[in-house]
Amino acid sequence: MKMRNWQLPLTFVLFMTGILLVSAIEALQGQEDLPTKTQSENLIAKIETQEKELSELEKQIDANRKSLDKYQESISSGKKEEESLKYQLDRLKILSGISDVEGAGIIIHLDDNNKGYEAAKNKDPEHVTANDFLIHDKHLLYIVYELREAGAEAISINGQRVVSSSDIRCMGTTIGVNTIALSPPFVIRAIGDPDRLSESLERKKSQYYSLKMAGYPASIEKQSKLIIGAYKGSYQYSYAQPKEEQ
Amino acid sequence: MWVPIVGLLIGLFIGWALNIPIPGVYAKYLSIAVLAALDSSFGGVKSIFEEKFNAAILLTGFFSNALLAALLAYLGDQLGVDLYLAAVFAFGVRLFQNLAIIRRELLSGWAKKRRALKEKRDSDE
Repeated sequence: MKMRNWQLPLTFVLFMTGILLVSAIEALQGQEDLPTKTQSENLIAKIETQEKELSELEKQIDANRKSLDKYQESISSGKKEEESLKYQLDRLKILSGISDVEGAGIIIHLDDNNKGYEAAKNKDPEHVTANDFLIHDKHLLYIVYELREAGAEAISINGQRVVSSSDIRCMGTTIGVNTIALSPPFVIRAIGDPDRLSESLERKKSQYYSLKMAGYPASIEKQSKLIIGAYKGSYQYSYAQPKEEQ
Repeated sequence: MWVPIVGLLIGLFIGWALNIPIPGVYAKYLSIAVLAALDSSFGGVKSIFEEKFNAAILLTGFFSNALLAALLAYLGDQLGVDLYLAAVFAFGVRLFQNLAIIRRELLSGWAKKRRALKEKRDSDE
Protein backbone atom coordinates (compact mmCIF):
# COMPACT_ATOMS: atom_id res chain seq x y z
CA MET A 1 0.00 0.00 0.00
CA LYS A 2 2.97 2.22 0.40
CA MET A 3 3.36 2.12 -3.38
CA ARG A 4 -0.10 3.55 -3.80
CA ASN A 5 0.87 6.42 -1.63
CA TRP A 6 2.85 8.18 -4.32
CA GLN A 7 1.24 6.72 -7.43
CA LEU A 8 -1.91 8.84 -7.51
CA PRO A 9 -0.44 12.27 -6.83
CA LEU A 10 2.39 11.68 -9.26
CA THR A 11 -0.05 10.46 -11.88
CA PHE A 12 -2.08 13.63 -11.42
CA VAL A 13 1.00 15.83 -11.63
CA LEU A 14 2.24 14.09 -14.74
CA PHE A 15 -1.25 14.26 -16.25
CA MET A 16 -1.34 18.02 -15.68
CA THR A 17 2.18 18.35 -16.98
CA GLY A 18 1.18 16.51 -20.11
CA ILE A 19 -1.75 18.84 -20.71
CA LEU A 20 0.38 21.90 -20.06
CA LEU A 21 3.18 20.62 -22.30
CA VAL A 22 0.94 19.97 -25.27
CA SER A 23 -0.88 23.26 -24.75
CA ALA A 24 2.39 25.15 -24.53
CA ILE A 25 3.77 23.45 -27.65
CA GLU A 26 0.60 24.17 -29.57
CA ALA A 27 0.50 27.73 -28.29
CA LEU A 28 4.12 28.21 -29.32
CA GLN A 29 3.38 26.79 -32.73
CA GLY A 30 0.53 29.26 -32.92
CA GLN A 31 2.94 31.95 -31.81
CA GLU A 32 5.28 31.03 -34.58
CA ASP A 33 2.55 32.04 -36.97
CA LEU A 34 2.50 35.50 -35.43
CA PRO A 35 6.03 36.49 -36.31
CA THR A 36 5.54 35.08 -39.78
CA LYS A 37 2.36 37.08 -40.01
CA THR A 38 4.04 40.27 -38.88
CA GLN A 39 7.00 39.41 -41.09
CA SER A 40 4.77 38.98 -44.08
CA GLU A 41 2.98 42.19 -43.16
CA ASN A 42 6.31 43.94 -42.96
CA LEU A 43 7.27 42.48 -46.31
CA ILE A 44 3.97 43.58 -47.78
CA ALA A 45 4.51 47.08 -46.40
CA LYS A 46 8.04 47.09 -47.80
CA ILE A 47 6.79 45.94 -51.18
CA GLU A 48 4.10 48.59 -51.14
CA THR A 49 6.55 51.36 -50.32
CA GLN A 50 8.89 50.12 -53.00
CA GLU A 51 6.05 49.98 -55.48
CA LYS A 52 5.20 53.55 -54.56
CA GLU A 53 8.82 54.54 -55.06
CA LEU A 54 8.82 52.69 -58.34
CA SER A 55 5.72 54.46 -59.58
CA GLU A 56 7.21 57.79 -58.52
CA LEU A 57 10.41 56.98 -60.35
CA GLU A 58 8.37 55.97 -63.37
CA LYS A 59 6.59 59.29 -63.21
CA GLN A 60 9.95 61.02 -63.03
CA ILE A 61 11.17 59.03 -66.02
CA ASP A 62 8.05 60.03 -67.89
CA ALA A 63 8.60 63.68 -67.03
CA ASN A 64 12.26 63.44 -68.01
CA ARG A 65 11.33 61.84 -71.31
CA LYS A 66 8.84 64.60 -71.99
CA SER A 67 11.39 67.28 -71.27
CA LEU A 68 13.88 65.39 -73.43
CA ASP A 69 11.34 65.36 -76.25
CA LYS A 70 10.90 69.08 -75.77
CA TYR A 71 14.62 69.64 -75.94
CA GLN A 72 14.91 67.48 -79.03
CA GLU A 73 12.04 69.33 -80.62
CA SER A 74 13.69 72.64 -79.89
CA ILE A 75 16.97 71.26 -81.21
CA SER A 76 15.30 70.06 -84.39
CA SER A 77 13.47 73.38 -84.74
CA GLY A 78 16.85 74.99 -84.24
CA LYS A 79 18.15 72.77 -86.99
CA LYS A 80 15.28 73.83 -89.19
CA GLU A 81 16.12 77.41 -88.44
CA GLU A 82 19.74 76.70 -89.15
CA GLU A 83 18.80 75.04 -92.41
CA SER A 84 16.63 77.94 -93.46
CA LEU A 85 19.40 80.31 -92.46
CA LYS A 86 21.91 78.27 -94.45
CA TYR A 87 19.56 78.29 -97.43
CA GLN A 88 19.16 82.04 -97.13
CA LEU A 89 22.89 82.41 -96.77
CA ASP A 90 23.46 80.34 -99.91
CA ARG A 91 20.93 82.40 -101.81
CA LEU A 92 22.53 85.59 -100.59
CA LYS A 93 25.93 84.28 -101.59
CA ILE A 94 24.60 83.66 -105.09
CA LEU A 95 22.94 87.05 -105.22
CA SER A 96 25.97 88.87 -103.92
CA GLY A 97 28.22 86.83 -106.18
CA ILE A 98 30.73 85.92 -103.54
CA SER A 99 30.64 82.24 -104.41
CA ASP A 100 31.29 80.24 -107.55
CA VAL A 101 28.07 79.08 -109.15
CA GLU A 102 27.28 76.53 -111.77
CA GLY A 103 24.22 75.74 -113.79
CA ALA A 104 22.61 75.88 -117.19
CA GLY A 105 23.02 79.08 -119.12
CA ILE A 106 24.45 80.73 -122.20
CA ILE A 107 27.79 82.06 -123.35
CA ILE A 108 27.78 85.15 -125.58
CA HIS A 109 30.77 85.89 -127.72
CA LEU A 110 31.10 89.49 -128.86
CA ASP A 111 33.81 91.29 -130.67
CA ASP A 112 34.47 94.64 -132.32
CA ASN A 113 33.14 94.91 -135.83
CA ASN A 114 36.57 95.01 -137.42
CA LYS A 115 35.34 93.66 -140.73
CA GLY A 116 32.58 96.28 -140.96
CA TYR A 117 35.09 98.96 -140.10
CA GLU A 118 37.45 97.84 -142.84
CA ALA A 119 34.64 97.67 -145.35
CA ALA A 120 33.29 101.06 -144.37
CA LYS A 121 36.72 102.59 -144.46
CA ASN A 122 37.25 101.23 -147.93
CA LYS A 123 33.89 102.55 -149.00
CA ASP A 124 33.90 105.98 -147.48
CA PRO A 125 37.12 106.67 -145.56
CA GLU A 126 36.28 110.30 -144.73
CA HIS A 127 33.11 109.84 -142.73
CA VAL A 128 34.02 106.62 -140.96
CA THR A 129 35.28 106.52 -137.40
CA ALA A 130 36.50 103.38 -135.66
CA ASN A 131 34.31 104.28 -132.70
CA ASP A 132 31.19 103.26 -134.56
CA PHE A 133 32.44 99.73 -134.96
CA LEU A 134 33.65 99.09 -131.44
CA ILE A 135 31.88 97.42 -128.55
CA HIS A 136 31.09 100.12 -126.03
CA ASP A 137 30.39 100.05 -122.35
CA LYS A 138 26.71 100.79 -122.84
CA HIS A 139 26.37 97.80 -125.17
CA LEU A 140 27.57 95.53 -122.43
CA LEU A 141 25.44 97.33 -119.89
CA TYR A 142 22.32 96.88 -121.95
CA ILE A 143 23.10 93.24 -122.60
CA VAL A 144 23.56 92.71 -118.89
CA TYR A 145 20.18 94.33 -118.21
CA GLU A 146 18.55 92.26 -120.89
CA LEU A 147 20.01 89.13 -119.39
CA ARG A 148 18.77 90.15 -115.96
CA GLU A 149 15.36 90.86 -117.38
CA ALA A 150 15.34 87.31 -118.77
CA GLY A 151 16.05 85.93 -115.34
CA ALA A 152 19.80 85.55 -115.38
CA GLU A 153 20.97 84.62 -111.91
CA ALA A 154 24.68 85.13 -112.41
CA ILE A 155 26.53 87.05 -115.07
CA SER A 156 30.17 87.52 -115.79
CA ILE A 157 32.05 89.45 -118.47
CA ASN A 158 35.48 88.07 -119.31
CA GLY A 159 35.55 86.37 -115.93
CA GLN A 160 34.46 89.47 -114.00
CA ARG A 161 31.35 88.69 -112.04
CA VAL A 162 28.70 91.33 -112.45
CA VAL A 163 27.28 92.03 -109.01
CA SER A 164 24.96 94.65 -107.60
CA SER A 165 27.76 97.12 -107.06
CA SER A 166 29.55 96.35 -110.33
CA ASP A 167 30.33 99.27 -112.59
CA ILE A 168 30.50 98.96 -116.33
CA ARG A 169 32.08 102.00 -117.87
CA CYS A 170 34.34 103.26 -120.62
CA MET A 171 38.00 103.29 -119.81
CA GLY A 172 39.33 104.72 -123.04
CA THR A 173 40.21 101.86 -125.30
CA THR A 174 39.02 99.33 -122.78
CA ILE A 175 35.85 98.72 -120.77
CA GLY A 176 36.03 98.64 -117.03
CA VAL A 177 34.02 96.04 -115.19
CA ASN A 178 34.55 96.04 -111.43
CA THR A 179 37.24 98.63 -112.25
CA ILE A 180 39.15 95.93 -114.13
CA ALA A 181 40.01 96.92 -117.71
CA LEU A 182 38.70 94.44 -120.22
CA SER A 183 39.37 94.39 -123.91
CA PRO A 184 37.63 92.58 -126.74
CA PRO A 185 36.68 89.93 -127.56
CA PHE A 186 34.11 89.76 -124.83
CA VAL A 187 32.72 86.58 -123.42
CA ILE A 188 29.58 87.08 -121.39
CA ARG A 189 28.45 84.13 -119.32
CA ALA A 190 24.98 84.03 -117.83
CA ILE A 191 23.31 81.34 -115.76
CA GLY A 192 19.58 81.04 -116.22
CA ASP A 193 17.08 79.36 -118.51
CA PRO A 194 19.16 79.08 -121.74
CA ASP A 195 16.16 79.29 -124.07
CA ARG A 196 14.64 82.25 -122.28
CA LEU A 197 17.97 84.07 -122.15
CA SER A 198 18.73 83.54 -125.81
CA GLU A 199 15.19 84.45 -126.83
CA SER A 200 15.42 87.63 -124.85
CA LEU A 201 18.70 88.54 -126.48
CA GLU A 202 17.56 87.73 -130.02
CA ARG A 203 14.39 89.76 -129.75
CA LYS A 204 14.17 92.68 -132.18
CA LYS A 205 15.32 96.00 -130.73
CA SER A 206 17.42 94.23 -128.18
CA GLN A 207 21.02 95.34 -127.82
CA TYR A 208 22.45 92.01 -128.90
CA TYR A 209 20.13 91.81 -131.89
CA SER A 210 21.03 95.30 -133.09
CA LEU A 211 24.72 94.60 -132.66
CA LYS A 212 24.38 91.42 -134.63
CA MET A 213 22.39 93.22 -137.34
CA ALA A 214 25.06 95.87 -137.45
CA GLY A 215 27.51 93.17 -138.38
CA TYR A 216 29.32 92.66 -135.11
CA PRO A 217 30.66 89.13 -134.70
CA ALA A 218 28.25 87.83 -132.10
CA SER A 219 27.13 84.37 -131.21
CA ILE A 220 25.17 82.63 -128.46
CA GLU A 221 26.22 79.27 -127.11
CA LYS A 222 23.70 77.39 -124.99
CA GLN A 223 25.24 75.36 -122.21
CA SER A 224 23.64 72.76 -119.98
CA LYS A 225 26.32 73.41 -117.43
CA LEU A 226 28.65 76.29 -117.02
CA ILE A 227 30.57 77.74 -114.16
CA ILE A 228 30.73 81.40 -113.22
CA GLY A 229 33.46 82.44 -110.85
CA ALA A 230 33.00 84.42 -107.69
CA TYR A 231 33.22 88.18 -107.36
CA LYS A 232 36.71 88.84 -106.15
CA GLY A 233 36.21 92.42 -105.04
CA SER A 234 34.83 93.58 -101.75
CA TYR A 235 31.61 95.16 -100.61
CA GLN A 236 32.05 98.28 -98.64
CA TYR A 237 29.16 100.01 -97.05
CA SER A 238 30.07 103.22 -95.32
CA TYR A 239 26.69 104.90 -95.36
CA ALA A 240 24.05 102.31 -95.62
CA GLN A 241 23.12 100.54 -92.38
CA PRO A 242 20.53 97.85 -92.00
CA LYS A 243 17.36 99.42 -90.69
CA GLU A 244 16.42 97.86 -87.40
CA GLU A 245 12.96 96.39 -87.33
CA GLN A 246 10.64 97.83 -84.78
CA MET B 1 4.77 1.91 -11.41
CA TRP B 2 3.33 2.31 -14.90
CA VAL B 3 0.34 4.25 -13.71
CA PRO B 4 2.09 7.66 -13.63
CA ILE B 5 3.46 7.13 -17.16
CA VAL B 6 0.00 6.19 -18.37
CA GLY B 7 -1.25 9.35 -16.64
CA LEU B 8 1.33 11.39 -18.57
CA LEU B 9 0.29 9.83 -21.88
CA ILE B 10 -3.39 10.46 -21.13
CA GLY B 11 -2.55 14.05 -20.20
CA LEU B 12 -0.67 14.52 -23.51
CA PHE B 13 -3.58 13.01 -25.42
CA ILE B 14 -6.18 15.14 -23.64
CA GLY B 15 -4.10 18.26 -24.12
CA TRP B 16 -3.82 17.44 -27.84
CA ALA B 17 -7.52 16.55 -28.07
CA LEU B 18 -8.76 19.64 -26.24
CA ASN B 19 -6.48 21.91 -28.23
CA ILE B 20 -6.94 24.72 -25.70
CA PRO B 21 -6.64 28.00 -27.55
CA ILE B 22 -4.02 30.11 -25.79
CA PRO B 23 -3.21 33.60 -27.05
CA GLY B 24 0.33 33.88 -28.36
CA VAL B 25 1.12 36.55 -25.79
CA TYR B 26 0.68 34.04 -22.92
CA ALA B 27 2.52 31.20 -24.63
CA LYS B 28 5.75 32.25 -23.00
CA TYR B 29 4.24 32.13 -19.51
CA LEU B 30 2.76 28.74 -20.28
CA SER B 31 6.20 27.48 -21.26
CA ILE B 32 7.54 28.60 -17.89
CA ALA B 33 4.63 26.82 -16.22
CA VAL B 34 5.46 23.68 -18.18
CA LEU B 35 9.03 23.95 -17.00
CA ALA B 36 7.81 24.23 -13.39
CA ALA B 37 5.52 21.25 -13.89
CA LEU B 38 8.37 19.16 -15.28
CA ASP B 39 10.50 20.21 -12.36
CA SER B 40 7.80 19.12 -9.92
CA SER B 41 7.35 15.82 -11.73
CA PHE B 42 11.05 14.96 -11.63
CA GLY B 43 11.22 16.20 -8.06
CA GLY B 44 8.38 13.81 -7.18
CA VAL B 45 10.11 10.89 -8.89
CA LYS B 46 13.32 11.75 -7.09
CA SER B 47 11.54 11.90 -3.74
CA ILE B 48 10.17 8.41 -4.33
CA PHE B 49 13.71 7.11 -4.78
CA GLU B 50 14.87 9.01 -1.72
CA GLU B 51 11.86 7.61 0.10
CA LYS B 52 10.84 11.13 1.19
CA PHE B 53 7.68 11.32 -0.92
CA ASN B 54 5.01 13.67 0.36
CA ALA B 55 1.84 14.14 -1.69
CA ALA B 56 1.07 17.55 -0.16
CA ILE B 57 4.53 18.91 -0.95
CA LEU B 58 4.34 17.57 -4.49
CA LEU B 59 0.92 18.99 -5.24
CA THR B 60 1.46 22.39 -3.62
CA GLY B 61 4.90 22.59 -5.21
CA PHE B 62 3.42 21.74 -8.60
CA PHE B 63 0.76 24.44 -8.53
CA SER B 64 2.69 27.14 -6.72
CA ASN B 65 5.82 26.68 -8.81
CA ALA B 66 3.90 26.80 -12.08
CA LEU B 67 1.84 29.83 -11.04
CA LEU B 68 4.76 31.65 -9.49
CA ALA B 69 6.97 31.01 -12.48
CA ALA B 70 4.30 32.33 -14.83
CA LEU B 71 3.66 35.35 -12.62
CA LEU B 72 7.36 36.08 -12.35
CA ALA B 73 7.72 35.97 -16.11
CA TYR B 74 4.72 38.27 -16.49
CA LEU B 75 6.09 40.70 -13.89
CA GLY B 76 9.47 40.65 -15.63
CA ASP B 77 7.78 41.54 -18.90
CA GLN B 78 5.95 44.43 -17.25
CA LEU B 79 9.17 45.69 -15.72
CA GLY B 80 11.10 45.23 -18.92
CA VAL B 81 13.42 42.69 -17.28
CA ASP B 82 13.78 39.18 -18.64
CA LEU B 83 12.86 37.68 -15.27
CA TYR B 84 11.59 34.48 -16.85
CA LEU B 85 15.23 33.64 -17.48
CA ALA B 86 15.67 33.33 -13.73
CA ALA B 87 12.83 30.78 -13.62
CA VAL B 88 14.29 28.95 -16.63
CA PHE B 89 17.66 28.87 -14.95
CA ALA B 90 16.36 27.74 -11.55
CA PHE B 91 14.07 25.05 -12.94
CA GLY B 92 16.64 23.96 -15.51
CA VAL B 93 19.33 23.46 -12.93
CA ARG B 94 16.96 21.62 -10.60
CA LEU B 95 15.74 19.47 -13.47
CA PHE B 96 19.21 18.28 -14.30
CA GLN B 97 20.04 17.76 -10.63
CA ASN B 98 16.89 15.69 -10.14
CA LEU B 99 17.59 13.73 -13.30
CA ALA B 100 21.12 13.03 -12.09
CA ILE B 101 19.84 11.81 -8.72
CA ILE B 102 17.20 9.64 -10.42
CA ARG B 103 19.84 8.18 -12.70
CA ARG B 104 22.15 7.45 -9.76
CA GLU B 105 19.33 5.89 -7.73
CA LEU B 106 18.30 3.76 -10.69
CA LEU B 107 21.87 2.60 -11.25
CA SER B 108 22.46 1.81 -7.57
CA GLY B 109 19.11 0.01 -7.44
CA TRP B 110 20.07 -2.01 -10.51
CA ALA B 111 23.49 -2.83 -9.03
CA LYS B 112 21.91 -3.86 -5.70
CA LYS B 113 19.51 -6.11 -7.57
CA ARG B 114 22.37 -7.73 -9.50
CA ARG B 115 24.36 -8.24 -6.33
CA ALA B 116 21.34 -9.76 -4.61
CA LEU B 117 20.81 -12.01 -7.64
CA LYS B 118 24.45 -13.07 -7.59
CA GLU B 119 24.36 -13.77 -3.85
CA LYS B 120 21.19 -15.79 -4.34
CA ARG B 121 22.85 -17.78 -7.15
CA ASP B 122 25.94 -18.30 -5.00
CA SER B 123 23.86 -19.51 -2.07
CA ASP B 124 21.96 -21.83 -4.45
CA GLU B 125 25.20 -23.40 -5.56
